Amino acid sequence: MNEPHSSLPLADVLQAANGLVKAGLIQDYAIGGALAAIHYVEPFATYDADIFFIPADQGLTAGIPAIYAHLKSLGWQVDGEHLMVKGFPVQFLTAQGLTEEAVREAQNIRFEGIPAKVFRAEHIVAIAAGVGRKKDLARIEQMLQQAEMDQTRLKKILERHKLKLPKL
Amino acid sequence: MKMEMRRALARESYEEKIRKVGQLIALTKAFPRRTPARSRPPNSMTLSESQIPYRTKKPKG
Repeated sequence: MNEPHSSLPLADVLQAANGLVKAGLIQDYAIGGALAAIHYVEPFATYDADIFFIPADQGLTAGIPAIYAHLKSLGWQVDGEHLMVKGFPVQFLTAQGLTEEAVREAQNIRFEGIPAKVFRAEHIVAIAAGVGRKKDLARIEQMLQQAEMDQTRLKKILERHKLKLPKL
Repeated sequence: MKMEMRRALARESYEEKIRKVGQLIALTKAFPRRTPARSRPPNSMTLSESQIPYRTKKPKG
């Protein structure tokens, strides 16, 4: 049987994000959302990549027009709220509050040799607790079952942001 | 899938897991489900997020 072709160009996404840092368009970034969770748990299908960034431009637009222009110059296309790279949707989201902390304290990784950062497991759980939709509760349960969690770090994050883990 | 198998999958390298995510996306596109599954766990490798009843919108955060 022919294996389905892998269609997730994460290396391209990370190279582009590193390029945005190098160009001074963003201060820092990290992988968030489902792709961050997959760093710690079993793989599952997801629609897109969420890249949380700390803007270099602290103005109202957070430098998003310049970010889009930079990525479009690399051949990325705009499709609604997403930027498309090789047909895969990517969202660049401005980090603030808990997500900004998650970017600043994110874990350094290398993906196919490319340096990158990914949210820590404890921040993924705290963010899901803060959002609180059913799918976030499912993510918390999955993370607690499968990911190695620093309980002390998680407790401190939850306390700092006045969050509580839901009853599962 | 048994929890031990799922934990074993969780321990695979990120590159390997992302490769499998790509395969799952391709499979989802090739064989879209017409009815939502009701009894499978939300994180089963056999389901996409869109196939879970409460995951009807794009994930955030």
